[in-house]
Amino acid sequence: MTEAPPVDWGWIQRQLDGVIADRLLEHLYLSFPPILLGLLVALPLGIASARWRPVYPPVLSGANMLYAIPSIALFYLLAPYTGLTPWTAIIPLALYTLAILVPNVVDGLNQVPDHVRQAAAAMGFGPLRRLLQVELPAAIPVVAAGLRVASVATISMVSVASVVGLGGLGQLILTEGFQRQFPTPIIAGILLSVLLAFLTDGALVLLQRWLTPWTRGRRAEAGRASRRARASSAPAREEEAVP
Amino acid sequence: MITFEDVTKRFPDGTVAVDHLDLEIPTGRTTVLVGPSGCGKTTSLRMINRMVELTSGTVAIDGDDVRTREPAVLRRSIGYVIQQAGLFPHRTVLDNIATVPFLLGWDKRKARERAGELMELVGLEPGQARRYPHQLSGGQQQRVGVARALAADPPVLLMDEPFSAVDPVVRASLQEELIRLQDELQKTIVFVTHDIEEAVKIGDAIAVFRPGGRLAQFDVPERLLAEPVDEFVEGFIGYDRGVRRLSFFPARTLSLRSDVVVDAGTSAEKARSVARDAAEPWLLVVDPDKRPLGWVSAETLEGAAGDRELGSLALVGYGHIFVVATDSLRAALDASVLSPAGRAIGVDTDGTVVGVVSQADLGAAIWSAGDAAVPVGGRD
Repeated sequence: MTEAPPVDWGWIQRQLDGVIADRLLEHLYLSFPPILLGLLVALPLGIASARWRPVYPPVLSGANMLYAIPSIALFYLLAPYTGLTPWTAIIPLALYTLAILVPNVVDGLNQVPDHVRQAAAAMGFGPLRRLLQVELPAAIPVVAAGLRVASVATISMVSVASVVGLGGLGQLILTEGFQRQFPTPIIAGILLSVLLAFLTDGALVLLQRWLTPWTRGRRAEAGRASRRARASSAPAREEEAVP
Repeated sequence: MITFEDVTKRFPDGTVAVDHLDLEIPTGRTTVLVGPSGCGKTTSLRMINRMVELTSGTVAIDGDDVRTREPAVLRRSIGYVIQQAGLFPHRTVLDNIATVPFLLGWDKRKARERAGELMELVGLEPGQARRYPHQLSGGQQQRVGVARALAADPPVLLMDEPFSAVDPVVRASLQEELIRLQDELQKTIVFVTHDIEEAVKIGDAIAVFRPGGRLAQFDVPERLLAEPVDEFVEGFIGYDRGVRRLSFFPARTLSLRSDVVVDAGTSAEKARSVARDAAEPWLLVVDPDKRPLGWVSAETLEGAAGDRELGSLALVGYGHIFVVATDSLRAALDASVLSPAGRAIGVDTDGTVVGVVSQADLGAAIWSAGDAAVPVGGRD
């Protein structure tokens, strides 16, 4: 290992259609469903928390407590019920996104100015219509900012799922790399993981711009500030990635 | 007509916002609810479209109790304008204006066409249709707010301090615009403000509320300024109500002197005799088009060489002027107070001088106006 070049390009070429592609696809399968599922759960929780104030503290504490459970423990806890199916990874990862997404949905709805809400009611929007046509659209920038953090965090955490044998790029790092004392898959796994996170983030930025044409040219976005605050207050989970 | 019959609003914490209110708001006129904060004026307004539910009594529009109508449906038939415009940040100007037509299920194209018409009506450029609210100035946003309230052509328009968040210059132009619109549209407007000046300017009738949600006085502005019912109303109207009341007396009733108006080409010699004949210490010098150039004092004339033309002498700036045909006594008084000669210059609508009036003559006119129980109309 000491004399070999750090990256074996031949291996990468040979495995591009093989183990690398397989693991990358697994990684995608394991990261996107939790993000979507998390958003689907966070929306109603966030809407309820914004509408009925007393609901919010227990919901937020619950989401934060879930976030504090080490992922590896959750994977092992779920394994007896879900076995080696993707659900063993999808369920915990979806739960983790709640700690980021729920506050963003709540903040997004709360930052809709009161006069806008009042005007909507006075124009004759019923409560549901007002939520769907005024409040949620106006909350999109803040929700999207949370979604970006949650996506990157999830893509990074999927690697831990490999420890329990669920596949993904973590498996590339662990099985092909560490266990065989072979650095190339480790480097490839890390780079691909970062690249995937980067591309997903970029795609979300484009999606948000397309969904919210009114925020173009308005750079000092409330959502950005909120996202930064969220990202710095939530503890980084990356240290778990090394078992 | 909107009628309040023995209406009371008590909030859950026990505070009474509106206390046994009886009020008849006439159709097709602008009625202003005015009073200090906490007097229940906004609460009263909001009971009309059920944004606030009354505790007891009845609010009816043309005889129909508002509580018999589904709130959302009722509100679509009542225009509403609020202080910060309350525009939807995610909708373009055009779609903001088309909000109620969309809610009423109009065809999209028809709704946007209507929104386009309204943009023109409230003085917005067609180029602003595709912009978003945050790209507009405060005054423009407020225009969009008014256009949105009018989109479905509701007979009733509720306006809750709509112009209090914009600067005074923009506010004045929005108020004038509203008066112009109302002349054209004849809506039943209920307008809430804490600014008595604004109330007097735009209101056909004014309801003054006192703290605790009681109606203190309901009258036409002229009578409110002339005969406040008690100390509270008098104090609220302000110490200069007498001066403000002059807004309702037209300046065209003044007799203006034209014998003290002289052409710039007149010699000092001749001007001296004019001043002596008129027994006036000041002459107004005008150019050949009869536009004012400035004042010359009899003193200056005495010291000047007899053959000099007035235009070559040092004239005193003429200051403010008033338009005889359209301005009020208040504008004339203001012009005379600000004039260095203590005399107000009255001009025609084309800017040519009609004549001047001294403070003494103005005083006489104001004196006789004070005797008139009902003013002859006209406002500044």
